[in-house]
Amino acid sequence: MKRECFSVSGLLNKYFDQEVTPEERSLVEDHLPDCPVCRSALQSMEDLRILIKSPVEEAVEKETFPWVWEKIERGIQREGRPGLWESLMSRLDVTPFLKKKIMIPVAAVAVALILMMVPILYEKITSYPIPSVVEYVESETYNVMIYQLENQKGTVIWLFNGPEEEVSPS
Amino acid sequence: MKRTLVFFFSISILSVLSISTALAQVQTRVRIIEASNVGSNIDSSLRDVTGQIGSLFSFSSYRLLKEETVSLQKDLPVSIAVHPGRSLELTLIKQHRKGAEVRVKIKREGSDILNTQVRLTPGRTVSIGGPKHREGTILITLALL
Repeated sequence: MKRECFSVSGLLNKYFDQEVTPEERSLVEDHLPDCPVCRSALQSMEDLRILIKSPVEEAVEKETFPWVWEKIERGIQREGRPGLWESLMSRLDVTPFLKKKIMIPVAAVAVALILMMVPILYEKITSYPIPSVVEYVESETYNVMIYQLENQKGTVIWLFNGPEEEVSPS
Repeated sequence: MKRTLVFFFSISILSVLSISTALAQVQTRVRIIEASNVGSNIDSSLRDVTGQIGSLFSFSSYRLLKEETVSLQKDLPVSIAVHPGRSLELTLIKQHRKGAEVRVKIKREGSDILNTQVRLTPGRTVSIGGPKHREGTILITLALL
């Protein structure tokens, strides 16, 4: 191999890939007619390219990749379609209510309603079951008896054996 | 904008206060009855009472001595004269959505002869009886209006 061959062989890959400068191209093309080794190397590269390229091109021609297109179409549709919240807001058209003139009074009324509801809810939570009618009873001068009427509509607190005459239930 | 805010804030506060005041009052119907076995006269306005306690007691006569509707406010005692020397004192202790807790005192010459706290609910009557009155017995009924 000639001395010139060392410098050209380093350029062969670039030459094959068409990435050489015009000067390098001239150098390689001047050298190739006189050097069978470099020509052989270049031919090997060409053979390899053909070997790889043919089956790939054949496969691409046969395959239409329909699923790829379906996927792309779905992506395009998703991007174009508005979200559920956006769709709802656009249908209801609540933008006038978001103006300060309306928003503040509405908020004030809402706060008032909440304040009114608090005691009612609180009472609901602390309400007692109906049966406990008499919380406590005390008398220093009478004995006391409590009657719960059968119909649950009344309770009787009866005082008896007091300082005066006794009046007892039948 | 500030004026609007102040206006609505004032309205809200007033609403809450008025509702709270309305909720804090309890209308209670008080009836003072003389039950006895003298005669068989039953006042027509007392049919509901006799219907309720008639099975419990054997009185033949029910006479309405006094009927009052009192407006109870929390912790403010209301006094009703039962008959000379005796009085009934009602105090609203607590108000619930479905009723009220009321302290009931029966006083004789200033001292308590009964001190109790009852829960009044709509449609239910609390009756207190026993103390003697003339030839019969005093019966006091309390009910929410």
